[in-house]
Amino acid sequence: MISVADLLRETRLPANYFDYASYLRGDLDLGLLENRRGDRLIAIPQTLVTALYKGLGQETGQAARLVLMNCGIWWGKNFYTRFTESLEEYYGIPLAEMSMATFTECLKECWTTHGWGALEFDPEYQSRGLLLIRTKNSPYGIQIQGDRRPSCFLEAGILTSFFSRLSGQDLLAAQTTCESLGDPQNTFILGLVKRLEICEALLAEGLGHDAIIQRLLND
Amino acid sequence: MKTQLQELLDRAQERYLTSQDLKQFEDYVASLPDRLALYRLLRDQEVALLQRVADQAEAELKDAVGVETLEEGIKNLILVLRYGAMAMLLDDEGFLKQRLLSWLERVLPIQQMRQLNEMLYRFLNQELKQRLTPRQQTLLLPLITTAQVTLIY
Repeated sequence: MISVADLLRETRLPANYFDYASYLRGDLDLGLLENRRGDRLIAIPQTLVTALYKGLGQETGQAARLVLMNCGIWWGKNFYTRFTESLEEYYGIPLAEMSMATFTECLKECWTTHGWGALEFDPEYQSRGLLLIRTKNSPYGIQIQGDRRPSCFLEAGILTSFFSRLSGQDLLAAQTTCESLGDPQNTFILGLVKRLEICEALLAEGLGHDAIIQRLLND
Repeated sequence: MKTQLQELLDRAQERYLTSQDLKQFEDYVASLPDRLALYRLLRDQEVALLQRVADQAEAELKDAVGVETLEEGIKNLILVLRYGAMAMLLDDEGFLKQRLLSWLERVLPIQQMRQLNEMLYRFLNQELKQRLTPRQQTLLLPLITTAQVTLIY
């Protein structure tokens, strides 16, 4: 026999953690925006991100790519911890017991609610060890002067460390298409570092997404 | 999506509300006692009402569906009814649609739960029709239908 009273013993039933209307809070008198857990949020203007890219590009030239990617990786490490803690707390179950659908939808919802653009997974090559992640309207697709390669470094970094921590393996998110180059979306190939290391060189040779995927699948 | 009320507030930032705007506001305020009464009723009868639905579903299903799946179905029904009650109180279908249904639609194995949900909503509608006055049904049932359409079809 199912007892509804038992199901309702915990009066709060979880739904969508990142629901915009419930997620975004703040103490406006103090100038603080917060999420529903009380972690601070700030609204970063697009112009600041552009300025960061520009400043780094001018000061460090080609190294800017690496610096931004590393910043993204640090960001991703903290983000993973916060993200999983929030979900475990809200849904009241450990990550391992969460359904795949809930987890991936939360990640997607997290992206849109924070205004980072829209994120989608494409499992076409998953059985061959490569997961494609696509984002649209990313705030990070900004060209560094004199470079014609994909440029969502912060995003590549956060995805790299987020999925590495999630899987317990050294993964890399290599970006192959970019809105800043006129592509309709940003594509990241996610896979083992030792398999994807070559992407950087392939991109420098001027290879596009399809050619890179073929090379990776044939290697 | 904005509620009618929010839209009125936005308009009031630019100018005094027109007679038509105020009429809209008045209509909403006039409907509030009914909405509050229905909200209280749903809140107070939540357990009894859903227990009936669960019992009937269990009897009809026998062991065709596992207890966990049935519990999951009932939990979602609890959520739909709670968000639906709030949406009814605010006269804002968007509260139910954007905050709950668009989410459930993405995380639930809709196909696998279709048969179960069809049955649960059938019993839920029966129960609501027995317990609610025609006026209350007009306020709530369209919202339940929205949920049904989203989660079943």
